[in-house]
Amino acid sequence: MRPYHLIPAVPALALALMPFLPFVNTDGLWFGLPRMLVWGAAWCVLCTPALLLTERLMTTGTAGTTTTAEGADQ
Amino acid sequence: MTTILIMTFTGIALIGVLGFAGRRKPAADLSEWAVGGRNFGALSMWFLQAGEVFTTFTFLGMAGLAFSGGVAALYALPYVPIGYMVLFFLAKRLWSLGKERGYLTQGDYLEDRYDSKLLGTVAAVLGVVFVLPYLQLQITGLGLIVQLVTGNSSSGTLSMIIGSALVVAFVLWAGLHGVAMTSYFKDVVMLVVLAVLLVAVPAHFAGGVSAMFHRIDKLHPEMLTIHAGPADQVWFTTSMLVSAIGVGLMCLPHAWPAVMSARDPKVLRRNYTWMPLYELCLLMPIIVGFAAVLVLKPGSSANGILLTLSKQVLPAWATGLVVIAAIATAMVPAAGILIGISSLVARNIARVKGERTQFWINHGTVVAACGLSLLLAIFRPDLLANLLLLTYSGTVQLAPAIALGFLARRPVGKVPVLTGLFVGELVVIWLTFWDKGLAGNVNVGLVGLAANLVVLTLAAPAERLLARNTTSEPDKPVAVTA
Repeated sequence: MRPYHLIPAVPALALALMPFLPFVNTDGLWFGLPRMLVWGAAWCVLCTPALLLTERLMTTGTAGTTTTAEGADQ
Repeated sequence: MTTILIMTFTGIALIGVLGFAGRRKPAADLSEWAVGGRNFGALSMWFLQAGEVFTTFTFLGMAGLAFSGGVAALYALPYVPIGYMVLFFLAKRLWSLGKERGYLTQGDYLEDRYDSKLLGTVAAVLGVVFVLPYLQLQITGLGLIVQLVTGNSSSGTLSMIIGSALVVAFVLWAGLHGVAMTSYFKDVVMLVVLAVLLVAVPAHFAGGVSAMFHRIDKLHPEMLTIHAGPADQVWFTTSMLVSAIGVGLMCLPHAWPAVMSARDPKVLRRNYTWMPLYELCLLMPIIVGFAAVLVLKPGSSANGILLTLSKQVLPAWATGLVVIAAIATAMVPAAGILIGISSLVARNIARVKGERTQFWINHGTVVAACGLSLLLAIFRPDLLANLLLLTYSGTVQLAPAIALGFLARRPVGKVPVLTGLFVGELVVIWLTFWDKGLAGNVNVGLVGLAANLVVLTLAAPAERLLARNTTSEPDKPVAVTA
């Protein structure tokens, strides 16, 4: 388990906890829409950057490991 | 009415024709038929996977759920992105195993990973039993859609018969390629229709989306919160969690052919990365459903509200387009489910020798499963309704077996997995049909999963201990298991 594996956990937690957040699960609107809807939509959108960042860090990590291994071989 | 009826049957025929166009000649073997020769690119994969998510339940059910439960309908928004984030990490391993070991079905995976034909067969039987009602739901939904807009039950029955016959025909001819081809059409027409409804319905009844929600906030503020009652926070979170586990660990058997058909794991990862954005489309029927809160009487038939509002707002030809989109959300997932069910029967239940015989058993199952679902949809629509309650909570009991199967060295064998699965299913069936109130608002699938994991955890060391004793006493006969 590497730290970058935890990046997608942030939007996942934000989505899973939305009915328990008092400032989200309440009446009243944000931008003319229900707060739960805005919160859910925003964190759904943020899932994609979280996964893109994770993939980037995973690729960098794999490349780093490969370079180190090649260096050791030489 | 005539315009809508003509458009309805034209739509059904068009979907059938598109399904046939998926292949120039019929597939020669089961692998080519079920997973398209494992050669699907990003675009086909995208629509195949979206095809599984956007069904009649999404199209009609989400609007109905928003009408009856307000923001409680949003439980369906997070589980697919959360599940896909899990699959993002598992995709490479899953695809590599599938390619290397030749998996076509969920049963193939479990059978191979645990070296147990019994586990493969049990998983396949559970898959068929729990997913068959889901197939019937699509066919019943198709009839309901036509009946709602025409007000004529015989038109509904006729549409179910024609729709089912065409689905069977194009699935037999084109297999997964046919599903992919119809999925393109389904998603495009569905998105266009939902976008039109999203603008037209709130504008017609309240002067726009924002104005509509301001009125709801004033008149029905309880619709904007998850509060005490049958759809409280516990229900919301546990239902979402069970569905997320089901998606993330591929517990529904009809999800497997699509994933196994990918050209390479990068295609899968890319789709899992971007698919959460596509999930936002789910908000469109939910927002339309909110409009009904202001317009329709409480207690109105929830499933039909999207079509009821469409008829009130749009001209007949545009309502016809809505009906075509709704029909597509029934026929296309039905085709995908048929492929999932038939390959399970052919590969993991019938177990015949010879690829040709397996292929014909598969095709026979397509006809039998769809025929049975159609007959039940016409004559006994409620017979399988209870089983539908088990589709998610029942299939999610396979999650521990699937998850542990990903590990290079499995920490448990087949006996603890089978015992846990058996106990989990028993708990789910007990809480669903006999002691209904015992779990409160907690999703019974989660309670079953907890029991499943406890038994698995206890049985694993017992199995190891037994294996050690057997090894240290070589003269004693070894018990033969499946």
